[in-house]
Amino acid sequence: MSTLYACVRAGEFPAQALLRLRPDLQSEPVVVLEGRAPHEFVCAMNTHAFRRGATLGMMRLDAEGIAGLRILGRSAETEATARTVLLEYAARFAPRIEEASEGTACGFVLDIAGTERLFGPPAKLAERLRVELAAAGFRVSIAVSVNYDTARMKAAATRGVSIVPEGAEAVALAKLPISALNLKEEHLDTFAIWGIRTLGELAALPEVELISRLGQQARRWRDAALGELPHMFQPLEPVFTLKEFCAFETPVEQIDSLLFIGARMIDSLVARATDRALSLAQLTAHMKLEGGSVHERVLRPAIPSTDRKFLLKLLQLEIAAHPPQAAVHSFELSAEAGHCSTMQLGLFTPQTPEPSRLDVTLARIKAIVGEDRVGAPMLEDTHRPGSFRVGALAAEGSVCDEPQTQRMVLRRMRPPLPVRVTMRDFQPTAFRDGVSLFEITVAYGPWRTSGCWWSAGEWNLEEWDVLAERSDGLSIACLLVCDQARNQWQLEAVYD
Amino acid sequence: MSTAAALRRQIEQDLEGRFPAALTFAPRTIREVASTGIDAADELLDGGLPVGAISEITGPASSGRTTFVMSFVARRTAEGRVCAWVDVHDALDPESATANGVNLRQLLWVRCRDSAQNVANRSRPWTRLDQALSSTDLLLQAGGFAAIVLDLADTLPEHANRIPLATWFRFRQAADRTRCSLLVLGKAAYAQSSAALAVECAPLRVEPAGGTVLRGFTYEIRRGRQRSAEVNVSRMHGVRKPPVSTWSAGAAWEAKKRA
Repeated sequence: MSTLYACVRAGEFPAQALLRLRPDLQSEPVVVLEGRAPHEFVCAMNTHAFRRGATLGMMRLDAEGIAGLRILGRSAETEATARTVLLEYAARFAPRIEEASEGTACGFVLDIAGTERLFGPPAKLAERLRVELAAAGFRVSIAVSVNYDTARMKAAATRGVSIVPEGAEAVALAKLPISALNLKEEHLDTFAIWGIRTLGELAALPEVELISRLGQQARRWRDAALGELPHMFQPLEPVFTLKEFCAFETPVEQIDSLLFIGARMIDSLVARATDRALSLAQLTAHMKLEGGSVHERVLRPAIPSTDRKFLLKLLQLEIAAHPPQAAVHSFELSAEAGHCSTMQLGLFTPQTPEPSRLDVTLARIKAIVGEDRVGAPMLEDTHRPGSFRVGALAAEGSVCDEPQTQRMVLRRMRPPLPVRVTMRDFQPTAFRDGVSLFEITVAYGPWRTSGCWWSAGEWNLEEWDVLAERSDGLSIACLLVCDQARNQWQLEAVYD
Repeated sequence: MSTAAALRRQIEQDLEGRFPAALTFAPRTIREVASTGIDAADELLDGGLPVGAISEITGPASSGRTTFVMSFVARRTAEGRVCAWVDVHDALDPESATANGVNLRQLLWVRCRDSAQNVANRSRPWTRLDQALSSTDLLLQAGGFAAIVLDLADTLPEHANRIPLATWFRFRQAADRTRCSLLVLGKAAYAQSSAALAVECAPLRVEPAGGTVLRGFTYEIRRGRQRSAEVNVSRMHGVRKPPVSTWSAGAAWEAKKRA
């Protein structure tokens, strides 16, 4: 069975990982520093910084001397997230992938044998892979070859897409420097003394003489230089996680700046979930704040969604309603995948609010009236009058065919209005609500209720249904309650 | 053709350039109506409350206005639809709603509240009103609600009358577009010309049982404005039968007793 490998290599990965979610910095010269102060040195940079004169290994003081250079710190968490994203994108084209990262470069070798019918010839696949990774914020070089090491070394040495024809591996590698073999310093010195500087020159050496001088390892080097070194492919088994992370060089205070990054993160998460025919069922925004505290918000859409604008709006409303109490050092957005929702619409089904739109509407209303003051009322399992809680609104209605009868409706006073009641023969005859005097014409009662005597939530009430008349002729029917525990009368509700 | 008809036709033709069909009644929009669940009210209102329009339910306290609206909401939720109750004074009683047959899981309850700085000064309810109007606006724009109740029943008319007319126009347009029945519950009519229907409620009598138990109320409803109704010939001639009807609501404990 023939083999075919495509090596994807993202050079200067610490810089690429940091700039991927920061399009505002992509047009500026940026270097990434590694190490502890004061021995920090440049470990990665972008092209703009290279043109300004920045070099790898440069110390912080030297880097600060270059005008206009943006200096960022290396973030292992950001790189790990970016590596996962790169791997996710590569996995769109081949299921068997082996890691081939070297130094600060992140690389993967894809086993693309047999994918011609899906993606066309290797050149087309490589170009499509490059374009998709560019859209995700990665600048990569791609090399395709039937030999694993040829693809790996060619991708490391060249930019853009390189296709090595079968049988022309030695020619393709001939001009690469001998350092592409990752030799030890002593061996590099030996080859330098011999005047061997390229893989082509190494491949031209006689095999037996080479092995007799440098041992059996020299045979592997020569085979690699000829593009003939066999390789045992060890595919990765990545765990599917939807997570994006961004560390800021300076703490961010404005919510808009945070959402700018959040939008890119949501785009990436949605794209990755969509690839697997999944939706985002839950989003968790995790923020590390200045001072060491953590701020976390969880978003749960009514139905799993892949609508970027909708998810971003939810995130915006949630962060606006619960802003972080300090500037944000790093922002992580993770998601739980859910199955795409399907809804069968019908001509005769009642119209109900669209779930995703309702989510945004409820979030907006919660921002106006308060978090706990919007929802569907639910009765508590208790005899205490006026007990309820607020739950979630049903997304779909259910039809009820039971006959309907009208019952007197109470309008509750929240909190109950304290009143002063005049009693005669154990019957209330008048009450005053602080503003007006009501003469009670008829009083029905008392109805006594009590409960929870074993706990602090005890109640002991005496209820009266009264018909009362104000001096200006206004008649009302209301519910007067005498709290026996506190010996206090209250206007609890009005019949309406 | 009679002389009067010929004369009318001639006048209309002469004025056609300035007023099309000057002496002919403009065609009225016959709106879809939804039953209130109260037979007497449905008969009075030609089938029920209009869909996609504003209805004003007015009356003093204990006039049965909330029971009337609750009955309508119960009917709509029983049809599998979703309704909303924008409660300016946080007065809705979920137990009463359940007793009337409202499916609570299909009722969105928005409870307005005083903002922190206004709690001390209860004489200025503008914040609650603002919250209610903003919430109603958002719900109308979202669509999908069969009925939205804007509960201004405990709001003083001098405060509710200050709601800009433009707000009611906007609500009317949104209700029409989303086919939502917007019910404005208040002490007086506030939406004025934006309302398609106005219903006045009034208490009639109390029904006691044996002088010790309150058994129920009988209410009176009076039809005010009804834009979508067909033109009544008798009304044109000034002979107008008072559109009044009565209905009753029992106590919740009566239902349990019967069950």
